Amino acid sequence: MTASRRSTALIGDDNTVVVAGKRLTWRTLHKLPQLPSPAAVLVDNGADALAAVRHHAVHGTELLVATSSRVDERMREELGESGFAVVLPDGDVTQARLKRVEESGRVWLLTSGSTGRPKRIGHTLESLTTVTGEQPPRTWLLPYSPGTYAWWQVVTVSLTHADQGLVVIEPDELENWPLIAAEHGVTAASGTPTFWRQAVYRDADALAAVPLEQITLGGEPVDQGILDQLREHFPKARISWIYASSEVGASIVVHDGLAGFPREWLDRKPDPDRPMLAVDGNELVIRSPHHGAGLVGAVHTGDRVEFDGDRVLITGRIDTDEINVGGSKVSAGIVRNVLMSHPGVSWARVFARKAPLVGRMVAAEVVPNPALGPITDADLVQWCSSRLPDYGVPRRIRFLDEIPQKETLKSEV
Amino acid sequence: MGEVMTAQGRNLPGDDSADLREIGFRSLDFSELALRVEDELGDELNFDAPGLRRIATVGDVLDFIEQLQSA
Repeated sequence: MTASRRSTALIGDDNTVVVAGKRLTWRTLHKLPQLPSPAAVLVDNGADALAAVRHHAVHGTELLVATSSRVDERMREELGESGFAVVLPDGDVTQARLKRVEESGRVWLLTSGSTGRPKRIGHTLESLTTVTGEQPPRTWLLPYSPGTYAWWQVVTVSLTHADQGLVVIEPDELENWPLIAAEHGVTAASGTPTFWRQAVYRDADALAAVPLEQITLGGEPVDQGILDQLREHFPKARISWIYASSEVGASIVVHDGLAGFPREWLDRKPDPDRPMLAVDGNELVIRSPHHGAGLVGAVHTGDRVEFDGDRVLITGRIDTDEINVGGSKVSAGIVRNVLMSHPGVSWARVFARKAPLVGRMVAAEVVPNPALGPITDADLVQWCSSRLPDYGVPRRIRFLDEIPQKETLKSEV
Repeated sequence: MGEVMTAQGRNLPGDDSADLREIGFRSLDFSELALRVEDELGDELNFDAPGLRRIATVGDVLDFIEQLQSA
C-alpha cells in the first residue's frame, strides 16, 4: 500500500467516534503500538476494533479483526498456522507458527459461516470502501459485530470521508440503542431487518425520536413489511436496502422503498465498474467489482430468488429456503413475507417440519406485535390461506415472547 | 382431528367409518394432526415406524396416530 493510499484512507481522521459514551475522534482513539503483522486481532469491544483499523490504515498492517467469540480455538490455531499472530482482548499475543512476509495493505474478513465454517476472504481498505463521492455530513450508528462485512462498510465510510461520525453500539447496548443514538444525534443507521424489527418492537417511540435521514437494511432478506413500517416512522428518510457479502461486496443497492430489485437490472449492459446480476435456475449470480481477492468472475451466491412481477425477490438461502411439501415446492421466504405483512406480526421464522405422508410441512414461529390485540394461530392460518397455496400455509405456529437475535444482528430465518 | 377440521372450517363426523375423501380430510390435514400430536407429547414421533398401510377412514387415522405414539 502506498503512502498516498493511507492518507486517502485517513480523510476522516478527525471525525467524531463515540465509544462507551466518550466522544473521541479516529485520531484520538487509543493506539496499538505493538501490533504485529500479519495480526488477527480478537476483540471484545468496538473501540479496540476501531483502533486496530486505524493502525492498519496508518501502517498497512495485514489485519484480520473479529470478535473473540467468533474465533474458536481451532480457528485460532489455523490462523497461527497461516502466519497470523493472534492478539487476544486482554492484549496477550500468541505468535504465528508460520513465519511469512506480510501482505501489506491486506484486510481479511471471515464469512458469516452460514454454509459451514467461516472462510477467510481477502480485501483491502479500497475494496471495502464502496461508498464513494461526496457524502452529506452524517453521524452513523455502528451496531454491527466488529470484523463483519457490514461493520467494515460503515467503518470505511467514516474513515475515508469527512464529516461522517460514528456512534459505536456495544452488544450490551443493543436493547437501548435508540436512546444512545438520539443523545448523540445519529442521522444514519445500518442494520439487519431483524435489528430494525426489534427496535420497532421494543420501543417504537424511542426509535422515532432518532433524527434518522438515512436508514439502511442488509444482511438478511428484506421484506416489504419492515420497509413500510420504517417509512411510517421516518417519512422523510432515505430508506435503502443493500445486498452485500464478504465474497461479492455491496452488489445491489435499492432506494425505492420496495422489497426486491427491478427485474430489468438483470439485463444491464456489462460495465466493469458495476456488479452484473444474473439468475441461474433460481440462484442469484453476481460478478462484482467489489469482490474479495481471488473471487474474480461470476459468483454463485447460494441465495434463492423468486420473480414477482417486475421485481426480483431474494427469499433466503437455497439450501434452507425451499420446502418440499409432498412434491409441491414453496419458498420459506415468501411464506415469511406473507406472515410479516399481517399487522399483528412483529417477526416470523418459517421452516420445514418432518411430517408423515407429505414428508415436510411448513411451520412457523411468530412474535406478535404488542401494540395490537392478541392474535391466534387460526387468525394467521386464515391470513395465509387467502394468500398462499394450501401446501404453503403454515399449519403449526408457535408464538415467542421476543425476537431472537444473534451476534451478527441476524435471526435464523 | 376435530381441531384440524375446525381450523379448516369443517366438522368432524361422529362416525369412525366416515370416508376421509368424502369429509375432505386430506394428506395435509393428516400431517397437521401428526404434528399436533407431536407438540402435545413434546417429543418427536417416528413417522417411518408404522408400515405403509391404507388410511381411508376416520378410524384409520386414529389407529395410525395411536400406532405412532406407541412406536
